[in-house]
Amino acid sequence: MSAELLKALRDVVGREHVLHKPEDLLVYELDGTIDRSLPDAVVFPGNTEEVQGVVRACNALDVPVTPRGAGTGLSGGAVPTRQGVVLATARMRRILDVDPVERTATVEPGVANIRLSEIAAEHGLFYAPDPSSQKACTIGGNVAENAGGPHCLALGVTTNHVIGMEVVTASGEVEWLGSHGPEPTGYDLRGLFIGSEGTLGIATKVVVRLVPVPETVVTLLAIFDDVDSASETVSAVIGAGLVPAALEMMDTVTLQAAEAGLRCGYPPDAGAVLLIELDGIEEVVRGQVTQARAACNEHGATEIRTATEPAERELLWKGRKGAIGALGRIAPNYYLLDGVVPRSKLVETMGEVARIGEGYGFPVANVFHAGDGNLHPCLLFDEREEGATARVLEAGAEIMRVCVEAGGALTGEHGVGFEKNRFMAWLYSEEDLENMRRVRGVFGNEGAFNPCKVLPEGTGCGEMAHQKGALAAAGPDAYV
Amino acid sequence: MTGWPLIEDAPDTADLAKCVHCGLCVNACPTYAITGLEVESPRGRIHLARAVAEDRIPLTEAVQGHWELCLQCRACEAVCPSGVPYGRIMERARAQLDAAPPAKGWQRRLRRFALRNVVARPPVLAAMLTPVRWFARSPLRGLVRAAGVLRLIGPLGRLEAQLGRPGRPFRPRDAAGEGEVALFTGCVMGELFGDVHRASMRVLERSGADVFAPRGQGCCGALSAHDGDLEQARRLARANIAAFEASGAEAIVVNSAGCGAAMKEYGELLAEDTEFAERAEAVAARVVDFSEYLAGRDLPAGRLGARVAYQDACHLAHAQGISAEPRALLDAVEGCELVETEGADMCCGAAGIYSLIQPAMSGELRARKADQFREHQPDVIVTANPGCQMQYEAAVREAGIEARVLHLAEALDEALTSD
Repeated sequence: MSAELLKALRDVVGREHVLHKPEDLLVYELDGTIDRSLPDAVVFPGNTEEVQGVVRACNALDVPVTPRGAGTGLSGGAVPTRQGVVLATARMRRILDVDPVERTATVEPGVANIRLSEIAAEHGLFYAPDPSSQKACTIGGNVAENAGGPHCLALGVTTNHVIGMEVVTASGEVEWLGSHGPEPTGYDLRGLFIGSEGTLGIATKVVVRLVPVPETVVTLLAIFDDVDSASETVSAVIGAGLVPAALEMMDTVTLQAAEAGLRCGYPPDAGAVLLIELDGIEEVVRGQVTQARAACNEHGATEIRTATEPAERELLWKGRKGAIGALGRIAPNYYLLDGVVPRSKLVETMGEVARIGEGYGFPVANVFHAGDGNLHPCLLFDEREEGATARVLEAGAEIMRVCVEAGGALTGEHGVGFEKNRFMAWLYSEEDLENMRRVRGVFGNEGAFNPCKVLPEGTGCGEMAHQKGALAAAGPDAYV
Repeated sequence: MTGWPLIEDAPDTADLAKCVHCGLCVNACPTYAITGLEVESPRGRIHLARAVAEDRIPLTEAVQGHWELCLQCRACEAVCPSGVPYGRIMERARAQLDAAPPAKGWQRRLRRFALRNVVARPPVLAAMLTPVRWFARSPLRGLVRAAGVLRLIGPLGRLEAQLGRPGRPFRPRDAAGEGEVALFTGCVMGELFGDVHRASMRVLERSGADVFAPRGQGCCGALSAHDGDLEQARRLARANIAAFEASGAEAIVVNSAGCGAAMKEYGELLAEDTEFAERAEAVAARVVDFSEYLAGRDLPAGRLGARVAYQDACHLAHAQGISAEPRALLDAVEGCELVETEGADMCCGAAGIYSLIQPAMSGELRARKADQFREHQPDVIVTANPGCQMQYEAAVREAGIEARVLHLAEALDEALTSD
């Protein structure tokens, strides 16, 4: 790294808030998934002005900037693909305001997602989007990825719960997007920014909506012999007009890993389970539970367990939220995918996923938000085996292709990131992509701020050999 | 190809491979909470260990520094979905430092010497700590404190601040077969926390246990293991295994969380030892924590009119998974109002000898506890480990409140005797 850059960064944030020794940088080369790239420096601004100062200093020296929350992302969003500076929000963890009357909270981007519900609890409120990594992941990262979670089926994802934000744009301007209260008029720039995967700028203050803790919550654990019956039940539940708070599926591989690691009372021999959570006013919930149980029974549930006590429910959710990490117990690595298909195509797509995994010789574990057709197949592999990483990426690309061809999308909640930027051409024409590039250009320089993410062929991103292979294996890149 | 200088006690490749770098551990880590640096988080430290193992980076002083700042509280293990045995990885990573270019050579050597030749030798330890006990109870202490003399010698001043009012020592003298339930007495615990042992004996007896303190037992070896001196830890483990086998005890009750966690893992520590592996497993299986033992027995309710803040000992809550039992025991006491303080399950910064080696980080963590005590104003702070007890003595003084610091056994004993 140039002495000039180091000095510029230290001038902005102070000497102790810049990391540049190789040992200190190492962990910042990765997030929760496969892509890796070492930064030249990691910088920890303490407030909006310092964020702005860092962005401007990097722009002036033409150094790429990659924002980072807790590094739990699953599409390489926080990986500094073109090296340069990682801008970490770890020092910006203040709760600025909690307003129980307006039901909002204003926080800095480095605040952990779970913290919002903790501080809201004393007012009988909570923050709805609950990614499985919620104990670690930050609200800034949630904004970037438009994070979802099991409980987003009824209540919506991050964009439905963030009212406004102060941001530092990629070009280094401080702007307020959205509002503190009612819907603003004009273009919804807030909506544009949320889910932009840290390519348009970095949120420095976030106003979130808090919602009341429901009066009654019931969690059902329905056990099935196979994934097909569980999938059919999902359609039946939704078809019956129910909108559960959460509707999650886990297959047998996942159940075994979760049970081994987290001892949450799952049946490890079952072919699949559904977690169905119903909440609201007691009388209404009671009726919904009856309906949901009927749907499960009709589609071959072998057993339905009901959890009403908070401790019992927490245990069931602990298993679900730790399920992906628990796969580390049965394989050294996993490649976690994130695709969406229409619910009507669930059974068919699951079959295709299994076929692809088998073809490549990778066991597949499935755990996903069944209610909204958001699949998370996990391919199990060992990166120490020669060529395994390249092959698992190829298999992943094929699965993404299947999702797209089923009329679905490349991501439900993890983002496109670097991981899937080249697959964008399956969904969008060159003209569409060019329009997106122009939007990105309004906020700043595409090549400099979280480069190589979301849009394909960013300047100077290069192309990793394994990605080429993955594309070739998945088929032509004409859009479908 | 590997960069570990000591292959024999190197972190196991399979252990390291278990980490899928999901990052769910970072917020559970006290040093990450304080610094905000991922390199001071479990994922960061494991990633460094992998890089050394794969010979990607040398075992530099900076790498050693990141490992040495770890408290080994194992809060990360408790939240890790993947089951990474982080404590074991860190002990073995530290074992490597013996053969690496020394970052703090003399300090490490001094520490080793003290752990091997003082702590692990009951007569030497007794000779060293008798004057400490005397000083702690003498009027001289007040004078010294007022004059601020010890503050001039950093580590001594910190130790003084942590010192309670130690009673008579408690040394294990019972012959084999004199009871069914053995009390583990440890090293420093027996010398400076004799009152806790006596209270434990009384409470266990009230629960109907036939309890005794068999001779021949000694330091559990946890401090040495955490310091990476696995050879010494194994030596101490073998001595304890032999002593407890000979004692004929059915259960071994441990009232120090750090010792209990280490002893429950004797089987792992001696897995490669053909003579001791099975015997270690058998003895480890008989080890129970004080609160764990009592949870399954009938104890009179007792009475203690106080606001009590229970603070988890890391090696009880995270390493042994015991956090409900001590609270339930306190909750059953009449007049005992349990106060949950924020971060009750986060490390207090004592962490064995950590508070002496890393005073700055230890102080930050202690200050967090002090803030909570100031806010909640408990009458009594209860914990389940001697090191934590000492740290809370200092935290209470820092908070400027009047609270007493008690071991769970002392609190229950008090409740039962005032009954």
